[in-house]
Amino acid sequence: MRNWNGLNRRDALRLSLMAMAAGTVSIPPALAAGTINFADIGVGDPGGDWSKYKAASGYDVNLVSIGNAPSAILNVLVAGGGQGTYDVINIVGGMQKPLVENDLVEKIDTTRLPNWSKDTYLDEFLGKGKPGFKFIGLGDDIYGVPTVLQGDTFAYLPEKTGKLDSYAALFDPQWKGYVALEDNYTTAAQKTALYLKSAGLASIANPDDMTKDEFKAVIDFLIDQKKKGQFRVIWNSFEQAVNLITSKEVYVIDCWEPMVFVAKSKGVDAVYADPKEGYLLWAMAAYLVKNPNRSEEQTAAAYQLLDFMLGGWYGAKITNMRGYMTNPQAPEYAKANPSEFPAEEAQKVADITANVRRKFQQGGTWQNRWPTEVEFYESEWSRFKAA
Amino acid sequence: MVPLQGGLTGHRVQRTIGLLSYIGRRALLGLPLLFIAAFLIVPLALTIIVSFWERVGLKFRPAFSLASYVTIMEGARLDVLLRSIFVAVEATAISLVLAYPIAYFLARKARPAATRIVLVLFTIPFLINYIVRNVAWTGLLGRNGTVNNTLIAAGIVDAPLDWLLYSDFAVFLGLVSTYMPFMIFPLVLSIAAIDRQSLEASVDLGAGSFTTFRRITLPLSLPGIFAAIVFGFVGCLGESAVPIIMGGVGYELLGNTITSSMDVLNYPLAAALSSLVVVLMLILMAGWYLAFDLKTFLGKILEWKS
Amino acid sequence: MWLLIGAVLLILYMPIVPVLVLSIRGDAAGEWTLRWYHDLWQTALILRALRTTAVVALIVGVIASVLGLVAALSIRELGIPRLILLAMLLPLFIPGVSMGLASALFFRLIGIPPSLTTIVIVQSLWALPFATLIILTVMAAFDPVYLEAAYVAGADRWQAFRDIEFPLIAPGIYGAASFSLIISINETIRTSVVQGPWNTIPTYIWSTYKQVGLSPVLYALMGLIIVSTIVLALSYLVLTRPRASRG
Repeated sequence: MRNWNGLNRRDALRLSLMAMAAGTVSIPPALAAGTINFADIGVGDPGGDWSKYKAASGYDVNLVSIGNAPSAILNVLVAGGGQGTYDVINIVGGMQKPLVENDLVEKIDTTRLPNWSKDTYLDEFLGKGKPGFKFIGLGDDIYGVPTVLQGDTFAYLPEKTGKLDSYAALFDPQWKGYVALEDNYTTAAQKTALYLKSAGLASIANPDDMTKDEFKAVIDFLIDQKKKGQFRVIWNSFEQAVNLITSKEVYVIDCWEPMVFVAKSKGVDAVYADPKEGYLLWAMAAYLVKNPNRSEEQTAAAYQLLDFMLGGWYGAKITNMRGYMTNPQAPEYAKANPSEFPAEEAQKVADITANVRRKFQQGGTWQNRWPTEVEFYESEWSRFKAA
Repeated sequence: MVPLQGGLTGHRVQRTIGLLSYIGRRALLGLPLLFIAAFLIVPLALTIIVSFWERVGLKFRPAFSLASYVTIMEGARLDVLLRSIFVAVEATAISLVLAYPIAYFLARKARPAATRIVLVLFTIPFLINYIVRNVAWTGLLGRNGTVNNTLIAAGIVDAPLDWLLYSDFAVFLGLVSTYMPFMIFPLVLSIAAIDRQSLEASVDLGAGSFTTFRRITLPLSLPGIFAAIVFGFVGCLGESAVPIIMGGVGYELLGNTITSSMDVLNYPLAAALSSLVVVLMLILMAGWYLAFDLKTFLGKILEWKS
Repeated sequence: MWLLIGAVLLILYMPIVPVLVLSIRGDAAGEWTLRWYHDLWQTALILRALRTTAVVALIVGVIASVLGLVAALSIRELGIPRLILLAMLLPLFIPGVSMGLASALFFRLIGIPPSLTTIVIVQSLWALPFATLIILTVMAAFDPVYLEAAYVAGADRWQAFRDIEFPLIAPGIYGAASFSLIISINETIRTSVVQGPWNTIPTYIWSTYKQVGLSPVLYALMGLIIVSTIVLALSYLVLTRPRASRG
């Protein structure tokens, strides 16, 4: 072990100086003028290509990947000084209540977004008075710019189960030990509630905003199922869910549709169900982070980025890469620009868009990321997991 | 920094410089304490204070409220806390049982060149991100994973073993394979540092190899054992990725439940959970201080007085 | 005994195999490709995170091992060993989530914006107990008699430390630095709260793992790390072959 002395004191000193120097020369992007700091959960990254936005605005985009859990977002903004750092934050919507109450985001002035009026989904699904409004608005005001829309159900392997068309499959003793749920009370528990309500197994007025008693009944049902060995695992991430499907570890899985796209691309015949009970509908929203010290130019550039995200190129790119519906201009743009989107990709964008639109028209229940009894939800979900 | 050569300078100058260097040395030695005090004790105190605050809507305000502690005692979180401690103790014990003989062998029996190679080999897997490593495990251990397929092909089992993944076994495998190698290093270092002369003396005096181990090696390697236990236990206790990637239906440990309470902005509850852990750890450490002589752990360090 | 060591190593290396396989597997079944390695150099997001991780890890490795060394010395010199040891071990006992949050609040309170500095502080704090303990385990076996001998021979404190003690505890310092490095490049949970505009590799992986899945490019990155470390480790072992037996 003597030879470790080979790294002597002087070398160590030199190394540390070099490291210090390396630390000081790289200037944080926050300080560089002309950069929008964009915090995103991974879905909003167009493969690192912001050239079109850059050409239009002169600003660069620094994308920082963050988690989507409310704690991850709020910790970063409330505690982590994210308010001074980030300009735009793109997450699953419906977080206005905690964000606005803690004074973390700004109202969106939609007149500054030329593409806003072109987004017909707002009138159809997300605008004021529509049930999807809770993903972008609070009271009379708009706080989020809708970037991605989707309706969730569950996936299954038809070779093992045959055709399935009800959430009942998740609790069918036939697939005991071959079922997986998402570790999330605003998705898995809400889908369970939707099922229990439509099967007449529990009296639940609104699966999207349950009372304590209603939610407790849902958790009791899930605990009972868990004790019977119905579930193989409760998954926590995109990667894990995809692996559960592709390795055929489970046959029925409460999950997101893009996971099925990935599984299919790997040659696994998985189907995303169209259950008779309907869909769990949701939308992602890009919020403008409140920062009193931001210059007017910077704010203008942030608005330009929000508008860019409502545009055709960005929408088509995200739909193509991530498998979610984005905005009405996306399929048209992809079709009209074969040099950027080959026919095959344009078709994919059109298909995905048409399919998600159908789900929204059919309806179901709107995911509620911040239900009235959210704390009770959380502690009950802990009970389910610890049971 | 240039050492003063006697005779070149006057005594007075030398004394002043001596005093300055004494103060300078003290200040330098106090640096780590200062670092800890500034960046740890203060945040920690904040945490403990916040744990007594009360919530108003989605915010919280200063108060003296035990509400968060009551919540912990009433709900499922106490189970999670206790389970975390059990799991951490067990995983640490398993790791120590594996790590000690390996470390002993590497430090004593193996050729130095071989030891060096093995130690480097133990380090390499840790450069792979631990999330990626754990995800890779799920691919190997699943019902249709490599391990099960191999077992079936070899005719050892007829049907895939379900308990390989999403089970206690998987969690322990994840924890042990993550933290056990961390434990080998302090053990090797402490065993290798034991003075050969005391070992030879013991043998010369007619002690058998087991007696020598028990009377000389084991006590003298206690600093290493202590360090190893701390590394293992603390790592396992705070682990939140292994249980959610490898654990069964909703396997929850401490870190997961704290994150979950932050999801609904219940910072006082999260702070209370953390404070409980910290207090628990302080009690354990106090017990350790009372039960053991610090000398066993710090060895000859304490004999030296400046 | 070699059998046990071999088995343990086998288990540790098992999860690396699928990573390597995934890094060279193409889209179509049965297709093998180095495309992901090529794409790696075009993925700006990952490259930037890689650079951040490397810079941070290097600084943390130096800071934590130097502070650890000074802490170990201060345990001996300042006459309050218990207090200092307790203080040095404290960072270990606070769950990562809580620590991340507490330091984030603290930084905000004293007005340090999230930056490389906050990442380095948070990670150094986490690595410090490991570094200190490792140096202590080596130091514990060091006989102060040598130092006294040096003083008798006319050396001053600094000389005695530099010429006598440092060489003897150098393995501990080296160990402390490599531990800190490894801790730094794996730290996720504390870093994610204070990272501000910087992604490190672990926080980037964690986010994509959760929301969009790990890309083959990430596997390529891991593959590159494995291969380059093995090459580095081998060359290190060859270059530093011990000429004499262990001291």
